[in-house]
Amino acid sequence: MGRPVLDNETWHFKLKSLREEISELSDRSEMKLRHAMVCSSNQNRSMEAHWLLKREGFDVASYGTGQHVKLPGPSLREPNVYDFGTPYKQMFDDLRRKDPELYRRNGILPMLKRNLSVKTAPQRWQENAADGTFDVVLTFEEKVFDMVLEDLHNRKHVLLKPVLVINLEVKDNHEEAAIGGRLALQLCQEIEAAGNWEECVDDLIMNFERQNHRKLVYSISYY
Amino acid sequence: MVAMAPAVSREKIAARINSIKYGAPADLSPKLDHLRRLREELMAADSLLVVELVSPLLDLLSDRLSPVRKFTTRMIGEIGLKHLQLLPEIIPALVNVLKDDTPAVARQAISCGFDIFRYSLVNVAIQGLYSSEFDDSLRSSWAWVSKFRDEICSMAFKEESEGRKLPALKFVESIVLLYTPDPNGSLEPPSDKNFQGNFEEFNVSWLRGGHPLLNVRDLSAEASQSLGLLLDQLRSPSLKSHSYLVIIVLIKSLSAVARKRPAFYGRILPVLLGLDPSSSVTSVSKGMHLAGVHHALKNAFESCLNCTHPGAAPSLWRDRLVNALKEIKVGKSVAQAANDMPENNGRTEWTRDSDISQILEDEKPSIKSLMEHGNTGRKRTGGLVTVDATEDDNSGKRARSTPGDLDGPGNERNQGQDRVPSSGTTPFSDVDSGPVQQLVAMFAALVAQGEKAAASLEILISSISADLLAEVVMANIWNFPPERLKSEGDEEPLTSAAAHTEMQNLEEEPPVTLAGGNVAHDDLSNTREHTAVPASESVCSGDISYPMETGYAVITSEVTDIEGRENEIPGLSSATEGDGLTENMDTIPKGSVHSDDANQEKSSNLGGISIETDRTPTELAQSLSTDRSEELSPKAATTDVSSLNSSTATSVGLASQLVLPKIGAPVIHLADEQKDQLQQLAFVRIVDAYKHVAVAGGSQVRLSVLAHTGLEFPSELDPWKSLQAHVLSDYVNHEGHELTSRVLYRLFGEAEEDRDFFISATAKSVYEAFLLQVAETLRDSFPASDKSLSRLLGEAPYLPKSVFEMLECLCSPSAGAISEKELPGGDRVTQGLSAIWSLILLRPPIRDACLQIALKSAVHQLEEVRMKAIRLVANKLYPLSTISGRIEDFAKDMLLSVVTDDGISTKEANELQKDENPSSENQPGSSATKEIPPDGHHMTASESSSSFTVVEVQRCMALYFALCTKKHSLFRQIFYAYKDTSKVAKQVVHQQIPLLVRTIGPSSDLLDILSDPPIGSEGLAIQVVNTLTDGTVPSPNLVSTIKRLYDTKLKDIDILVPVLPFLSKDEVSVLFPHLVNVPLDKFQVVLPRLLQGFNHSTPVLTPAEALIAIHKIDPEKDGITDACNACFEQRHTFSQQVLAKVLNQLVEQIPLPFLFMRTVLQAIGAFPSLIWKNPRQWVGFVKCAHVTMPDSFGVLLQLPAAQLENSLNRIPALKAPLVEHASQPNIRSTLPRSTLTVLGLEQELPTSTTQPNQSQTQTEEADNSEKTAATEKSKESM
Repeated sequence: MGRPVLDNETWHFKLKSLREEISELSDRSEMKLRHAMVCSSNQNRSMEAHWLLKREGFDVASYGTGQHVKLPGPSLREPNVYDFGTPYKQMFDDLRRKDPELYRRNGILPMLKRNLSVKTAPQRWQENAADGTFDVVLTFEEKVFDMVLEDLHNRKHVLLKPVLVINLEVKDNHEEAAIGGRLALQLCQEIEAAGNWEECVDDLIMNFERQNHRKLVYSISYY
Repeated sequence: MVAMAPAVSREKIAARINSIKYGAPADLSPKLDHLRRLREELMAADSLLVVELVSPLLDLLSDRLSPVRKFTTRMIGEIGLKHLQLLPEIIPALVNVLKDDTPAVARQAISCGFDIFRYSLVNVAIQGLYSSEFDDSLRSSWAWVSKFRDEICSMAFKEESEGRKLPALKFVESIVLLYTPDPNGSLEPPSDKNFQGNFEEFNVSWLRGGHPLLNVRDLSAEASQSLGLLLDQLRSPSLKSHSYLVIIVLIKSLSAVARKRPAFYGRILPVLLGLDPSSSVTSVSKGMHLAGVHHALKNAFESCLNCTHPGAAPSLWRDRLVNALKEIKVGKSVAQAANDMPENNGRTEWTRDSDISQILEDEKPSIKSLMEHGNTGRKRTGGLVTVDATEDDNSGKRARSTPGDLDGPGNERNQGQDRVPSSGTTPFSDVDSGPVQQLVAMFAALVAQGEKAAASLEILISSISADLLAEVVMANIWNFPPERLKSEGDEEPLTSAAAHTEMQNLEEEPPVTLAGGNVAHDDLSNTREHTAVPASESVCSGDISYPMETGYAVITSEVTDIEGRENEIPGLSSATEGDGLTENMDTIPKGSVHSDDANQEKSSNLGGISIETDRTPTELAQSLSTDRSEELSPKAATTDVSSLNSSTATSVGLASQLVLPKIGAPVIHLADEQKDQLQQLAFVRIVDAYKHVAVAGGSQVRLSVLAHTGLEFPSELDPWKSLQAHVLSDYVNHEGHELTSRVLYRLFGEAEEDRDFFISATAKSVYEAFLLQVAETLRDSFPASDKSLSRLLGEAPYLPKSVFEMLECLCSPSAGAISEKELPGGDRVTQGLSAIWSLILLRPPIRDACLQIALKSAVHQLEEVRMKAIRLVANKLYPLSTISGRIEDFAKDMLLSVVTDDGISTKEANELQKDENPSSENQPGSSATKEIPPDGHHMTASESSSSFTVVEVQRCMALYFALCTKKHSLFRQIFYAYKDTSKVAKQVVHQQIPLLVRTIGPSSDLLDILSDPPIGSEGLAIQVVNTLTDGTVPSPNLVSTIKRLYDTKLKDIDILVPVLPFLSKDEVSVLFPHLVNVPLDKFQVVLPRLLQGFNHSTPVLTPAEALIAIHKIDPEKDGITDACNACFEQRHTFSQQVLAKVLNQLVEQIPLPFLFMRTVLQAIGAFPSLIWKNPRQWVGFVKCAHVTMPDSFGVLLQLPAAQLENSLNRIPALKAPLVEHASQPNIRSTLPRSTLTVLGLEQELPTSTTQPNQSQTQTEEADNSEKTAATEKSKESM
């Protein structure tokens, strides 16, 4: 139990201090909340929201919970599959080479172009421990919501820092993603404006539901 | 920690603290910078220095800025963690911080407290284990830590703001966990005394041997108490005061505790199960958030269900947990419906959930019994947990595709374990829906009980919708056992057995084959998707399908068949059970009659086996593999002998070139096309098989399965084509409608589910093509009277554009098509129109589009088509209030298009239109006409004249006329339009009006219009009136309307003519002068009307009265004489007696009427007998002639010869001048010979012409009235 334990320990310590370092960064600007947008492939819905929130000056990141990044392919059974971490640029070039007409028409190329202006590559939620803690996680699909919660649950709860996980159901197409992005922005603005979301999340969510005729599901987890 | 920075001076740090403390109070970021640096410095500083600096640092906790306080708190926490001896000093400060106004700061304090507490606990525990001595500092710090712990715990159960309460609750949870032994943790404490900080490993059971400070029993008691407090939060009174957030946190905490400490199941689960968030919530209005709570509860229950630790005694709770899960789902769907959030409506998952839970509700009794049976064995019940499904899939696939692992099941298991438990989506877990898996498990459990459960099975099946059942079957296909390949060595004999049994179980064949095909396919796609899978695996997966192609196709497909059947039978027999479970059951043993006992035994065991594979895959795959291979071999051997013949027979039937070589390694690589072809063949076979199984019944399920299969099939291979061919080959007998609609709904669902762009787009296009093709075939191959098409269109999920186009062609056939087919289109048009009609009635959303088609058809150039459409539109559609407006607008626009495009200044007409009827322009529906005018233009262009042909105008107007009969007020528009129409159009209108007006009758609307016809439409009004009065007695209303119209506006006597017979005498008398004033030809029409009355009723005027009336008219007016003449022409009416009477009356008038004399003369001319048969009058006449010589010569000369002679005899003095007068050449030439004879001037024949005579008489006319009368008379006699 000698060395490996020590190694493990140092690793844990390093990880923890890294996390703290990051959450400290967020403390810096008057306790600004950190947001994560999560969908399954980190391409359409989460990126639309990421893009919008980033533009509005939010502290935001985005992730996918799938095993791979899947994009529609030439037929139903031939999706384009990439690993998380493959740069958007690379996908863009790849698809443009394969069938520029098809992918422009179905909106994939424009989407990738947008994405590569936001960040380098799709990231996987389950591998984001090093990215620090988030205050608000927005998912766009119930399956993703469940996975995020399960993942958070399986992590070690060290910081006792609560994280609000909200699911906003958005269909995976361009139009709905645009609508969903705007809703996400509005929701995050409201949460941020509320200051301490713990105090008022029920009312906040209820109002949001009523205003937008959307059904939200939320939960809370801890880092 | 490792790399220590060089020591920092005390002064420097103190200065930094001061600069923070006294810095500009509002300046946040430099302060934070300082703090950060301070933290680094303190981390590096040695403990002495830190001890010194703690108190100034603590002062920072009262800083005004909350971020500073928070950061300081954190720093202090870290210091406390590092220097436990400082805790007595630090903790009071932290306790104070707990009450900080800013929740974030308080939260930080709790977080620090958590760290410190855990660290201290572990530290104290370890210390105590290895040394009985405790230094005081450690003791006191532990005391402080305990105090801190109590503070935080009390926060959790006090009325606190959520921001503080939540972490405090979490803190309590962790205390409970820390204080209770972890059943999974190591029981032995670490050997290393310096084991520090790694509290993840800490297990309180280390202390069971005894500890100077910590007593395990006390700790447990404390944990139990804390847990009790937590549970109390979810119990009735306090539950009401919590927000949902707190409730969710509590649920999550408790379920985490339950899972990690199964011993607490008995305490926690009753509370969770008894929790009814919906009824015990603070305010009902919050109901919308229940979703979150339900979600948390659901997760909690599911995770509890998953727990297999014996301490949890899961079997005790399973029933209740499963029931609770069901209820949550029901509640969820109810809430869903109640909230009615439109955005979520399209989500199939929800509805599916609710469906199933509904069914489950219905099926409670049977499920219960199932549960009871299931509980007897742990393995069985496991299947009820939805999460298992994915595991099942994966291990199943793995086992299937790794024949190399046959001998090493351990290896296989390792593979299974390699998987990360929370690996997220595997491609097939996407497909699996929980409820379906539950159903599959339920079926399996029921089937496992054999005959006993047959009744409950039946109930279950009959209550499940066909679609759901189909999904169950599809889902079940994943559960094909992994051991198929293990029998590869026995392939040949197996084949024969399979072929043999196949014949007997023919009715079961399709689903089974389908299953086989699909499995193969799935493996392929699976390997494609799992790029991470080792290469060997993908090769192996090829094993399954590759041999099928090159001549061994039969073999392997048969293998899959038998495998499929053997394991599928439970599911299948249940699927078709509604029609005869027992039959199906029987077939199994029958099929294996030829084989030995072992085989038979095995097949009866199959149900159990397949169920077990459902459940605990890794374990069972292992056990099965040995099991099955043992069993299979002998069976194979026997069947080989017994059924060789039949096998060859069937095989030949199935594939032309059947070769059966001994296969060493059946790994054959196929080209992509070959694979495709193979799949296609498989599908075609499935479809073909459907033709045979129709008699077996259960079509609902089978059709659903077929539709689903199509979707699972790779789209490149176009399974839809074969499906379509099947449907269309015999639409009626193949239940074409049912299958088509199932396919359509399936595709539609896929398109709507919208998982990603491409899938939905493809599904959509397939959908459109499928629907269109079926519709077209129905149109072409069925008699027009068949209603299939209209039923299909009525029930399809939605209609794409192409279908509309088809309908349009049907309703408005092009001219060419019609002429080619000699108008068979008549019926087709009816068919199309009736389809349109039912669509309009049944599908409001597409009403407009359908209406467009109908309307277009209503202005079709072929009269037959047009009349059909018009009948539909006017009789059926127009009465529908929702669309009548559109129809009206369209018809009006069509009407106006004829008018305005008509050569005359279009613009003007339009403006006029606007002024007169502004509403007509405002109404929407001008769009309707947009399509049509081009058509009209086209026609006119081809006519090469600017105006329309009669036919064309009729085409455009017919609809409007038809509508007029339905809504009379529309008639007004025709009046407005009338003025500006061309002659052709007017002609058409005039043609139509009689028909139209007769249909309408003298309705109030029409009278309204008549009472105020627009300027320019007089002609039309007159025609309308004529039609109205033609042959009937007009109503008094009509008469008075016309009269009023004449009086006020329309001074055209024509309008009055038709009603003249119905006016009173006085009225007519007043009107008479005007009547006389009309041109002669008209008067000639008027007169009889006046005199005859209607249907020989009492006439308005007697002839005498009429004639007298004429004489009363101011003679200055024109036409009086004409009128008189007209009267005289009608000798029957104006008979001798009448004239006599008139003359007598006229004579009595003083002064004599201006025309008296003329009338007298005319009377004589007309009825000479009036005078010359009356001697006295005759004498008077002759005298008169004498007196008025020579002016009377003309008259005299016109007398018949006898009378002339008589008069000359009476007054001989007349003769000489008369002869002289008559002998003037120009006169003489005009006189008849008889006259000349009388005068003694008889010579040659009079040459000709009355001309000279006339001119002569005309010169005389000016002189006096008698002369005029004479001239008139002469004219008459001519």
